[in-house]
Amino acid sequence: MAEKNKNNDRSDLNKVPFSMRVRPYLIVAPSLIITIGIMVPFMMAIWYSLTNYSFKLPSHKFIGIANWVNMLGDASFWGAVKISLLYGIITTALEMLIGVGVALLLNNLNNGLSKVLRVLLVFPLMIAPVTATIVWQLMLNSSVGIVEKLLNLFGVYNFPWAAAPGTALMTVVIIDVWINTAFIILLVLAGLQSLPKSPFESAKIDGGSAWFNFTNLTLPMLKPSLYIALLFRLMAALQEYAVIFALTKGGPGDSLMSLSLTAYQKGFKFQKFGAAIPFILVLWLIINIAAKRIVNLQRAAQKQAAGLED
Amino acid sequence: MARIKIENVRKTFGKVRALDGVTIDVKDKEFFVLFGPAGAGKTTILNCIAGISMPEEGMISFDDNIMNLTDPAHRNVAMVFENYALYPQMTVYDNMASALRSKLYKTDEAEIKKRIEWAAGVMKMDNLLERLPGQLSNGQKQRVAMGRALVREPNVFLMDEPLAHLDAKLRNSMRTELKEMQENLGSTCIYVTHDFMEAMALGDRIAIINKGKIVQIGTGDEIYYMPCNEFTAQLMGEPEINIFTARPLVGSNKYILDFDVNGERISVDLPYDEGVYSKLHDLRLENVDCGIRPQNVKYSFEPKEGYFKTTVYSYESIGNKSVIVAECGGFQLRMIAPNGLNVAIDSEIYIRLEIDHAMFFDAETKDYIIRYDEAGFTAFAASQEEK
Amino acid sequence: MKTGKQKALNILMNFLLLIYAVFALFPLVWMVLISFKSDTEVFTTTFAFHPTLSNYQEVLLRSDYGRYILDSVIVSGGAVLVSIIVGVPAAYALARYSFPRKEELAFQILSYKFAPEILVVLPLFMIYQKIGLYDSYLGLIWVYQLISLPLLIWVVRGYFEDISVEIEYAAQVDGYSWYQIFFKMLVPLIKPGLVSSALLAFIFAWNSFTFPLILSSNKVYPVTVAIMKYLGTDSAHYGQLAVASTVSALPAVIFALCIQKHLVRGLSFGAVKG
Repeated sequence: MAEKNKNNDRSDLNKVPFSMRVRPYLIVAPSLIITIGIMVPFMMAIWYSLTNYSFKLPSHKFIGIANWVNMLGDASFWGAVKISLLYGIITTALEMLIGVGVALLLNNLNNGLSKVLRVLLVFPLMIAPVTATIVWQLMLNSSVGIVEKLLNLFGVYNFPWAAAPGTALMTVVIIDVWINTAFIILLVLAGLQSLPKSPFESAKIDGGSAWFNFTNLTLPMLKPSLYIALLFRLMAALQEYAVIFALTKGGPGDSLMSLSLTAYQKGFKFQKFGAAIPFILVLWLIINIAAKRIVNLQRAAQKQAAGLED
Repeated sequence: MARIKIENVRKTFGKVRALDGVTIDVKDKEFFVLFGPAGAGKTTILNCIAGISMPEEGMISFDDNIMNLTDPAHRNVAMVFENYALYPQMTVYDNMASALRSKLYKTDEAEIKKRIEWAAGVMKMDNLLERLPGQLSNGQKQRVAMGRALVREPNVFLMDEPLAHLDAKLRNSMRTELKEMQENLGSTCIYVTHDFMEAMALGDRIAIINKGKIVQIGTGDEIYYMPCNEFTAQLMGEPEINIFTARPLVGSNKYILDFDVNGERISVDLPYDEGVYSKLHDLRLENVDCGIRPQNVKYSFEPKEGYFKTTVYSYESIGNKSVIVAECGGFQLRMIAPNGLNVAIDSEIYIRLEIDHAMFFDAETKDYIIRYDEAGFTAFAASQEEK
Repeated sequence: MKTGKQKALNILMNFLLLIYAVFALFPLVWMVLISFKSDTEVFTTTFAFHPTLSNYQEVLLRSDYGRYILDSVIVSGGAVLVSIIVGVPAAYALARYSFPRKEELAFQILSYKFAPEILVVLPLFMIYQKIGLYDSYLGLIWVYQLISLPLLIWVVRGYFEDISVEIEYAAQVDGYSWYQIFFKMLVPLIKPGLVSSALLAFIFAWNSFTFPLILSSNKVYPVTVAIMKYLGTDSAHYGQLAVASTVSALPAVIFALCIQKHLVRGLSFGAVKG
């Protein structure tokens, strides 16, 4: 009998079988390969930022931190940082505010309207941001757009929208809010629907007011979902490219030249690859720091919420 | 059914040593209880037997077949998990049928149905079979988890606190049911609990476990009456045994036990017992720890001959009886009293120790030295084991 | 027992919801309307116009639109498929195994979702040119992993974390092999999260603009980029653009309607699950 034979050789007895030992590695190997594959461009980007890489030059050479120094001296850099931050923060704040509000309304109003809207309000997500932007462009056309015609009723004529530096930011913000609020609604609604029932039942017995329940139960337990929504939205908004590109390509003037657009312009339009990359690395740094912070907050909120459940 | 042997098993989780050289030999058809405080390593032992955990050292064998390299599926063990581990997407019926539908333990559906109906009857849950686990109370889940194990014919049943979440009444009836069933089935069963009553009622033998080590193995009575150290003595018994340090003094022809109660010196004559006297004589200890069970502490609210005075620290009911705790300065004494007494905290109480039921431990090592009538208890325990 | 105050509040809530609904849905209605307008009527009329199907004929029958859609399906579907095959096991590993710096690794994976697309695209443009992945299905599927993989891993990991490990043990003891357990026990339990995160990943991949804009040109032409063609330099065919856009939203819309029941519930990651 096979097992009996093993009696003689006890040295191998506690060696974990090969198939079990390799299983964790087999499981993660494919994603590790992809992860590493995705990492390569980041590493290369850092290297390129230290060279004078350009499509126009036959070869490139190491030029130290010259690109970085140039960037810091470049007036457009600080403008771009400002635009990126402004855009990211304003759109995210508005989307969070509206998204959470709408999700709460959808969750609280259990009528036909809310049931239908729960499905319909997700639809803006399914239009490519670029196309959505173009449709909005049509609607906002300052001479013949439908919104213009609406404004005419109130005595406002030829509202410039994206055509004037003063109103361009507001215009992209509106479009971004239209596109992305649906995402927040979706995540917050998911969070609301997965809240445990029992704390609310005991609160009902205690007879707390609706507002008390909201601030002391709903909000703390919803916090983890809110942080996730915030995380995904803010990180995407800080680097938003497609909407601005489709609307004005960064104009009018430099009024919408964010870090993403500046880097694109320098890299592809002006063919200064090495010089473009520091701009985008700065953006990456901002995003990473913010993301790390939000993830930590989220984990903490999750622990706190788990405590509330008991 | 099989004889389950684990020899010198070691298992660490990171830096924590969960099992530190555990050796157990469970006889075929034996009901073997693993008893110890939380975190002692009881569940880890079950996991090692089931093959869920791989020990770093040591050997696990079923009927002399070494199982170390056999995966859990092929060990043919049935396990009841403490957190039930029911499959949430399957009905109770499908949960119970799960093992019998696997390729390894394939059974035809008619037989499965028969066995499930039997197990559901035993577990009093015939009406739950079509439900999903999410629709069950914890007690019901626990019964399903038991049922899922019972439908099988395994080498060994491994049960991890299977009655812990049942209400008291159901727990008592299940305990009886389980014991009966085990005798009828003639199955080997390794049963984890932290409930003293359960351990005593169910176990043919009990292994006391602490910090990953086996402290003592024996029948319930053996361990209860002759615990190998103070830890075991404290674990076995509800309310807990009283242990206090005293000085054995030599008087004229006899030993006297000398200890302080609230600063007052109390001397108790030790009645003659051959074992006790010869041990005290041989060891010549300056101090011993004296262990005395609460039922061997007598009290009075009036001064009485042979009683010493202390004050009441607390008086609490533990069901059909109560416990009085008396403050004695360096230690406290627990004793059994009826319910409904009018006892005021801090009032005076007079106490007598039935010292001829005492056991003695080394005050340094905390190991068992001797007890009164050890020979009698040894013979009694041996006769129990015969059975 | 509704008091007047509650009634008023109820009306107000419905009203607010309705306002948002108009804001959110009107552009969609407008887009569909435009798709039925001739180029001349796009700017001249609002609601009253002569509906025409000519845009649909032009786009669906006389242009390469079918090819663009197919490219989008291949690239987005392929990306999500790869993400599922690769990501579900990875999510399992991140939930179950403990290894040093696990949380850092999990964050790293997530952070790829947040990496500026331009940052990835600049060097990838060079690399792809060199190794022949430029303008290829594989190249886009690869880079789309940045969009779909982190999302999927994070949602599914949460689901695995919610499954007690004892369920796996119980199934092992019941005589099942690890692979049987994975597919028969675990996959059904993570399904809601898997399906809805896959849908979301699919939508994001489908709508991606920057990646195909820079990393592909002629051979692979996803819809998002192709739509720009209808805004040709000579004349802008807004009607055709609206058709292209409306039709391209259909797969995701249909997908979403099919899994409507799971969609919201499945995305409850990071929340306390009751």
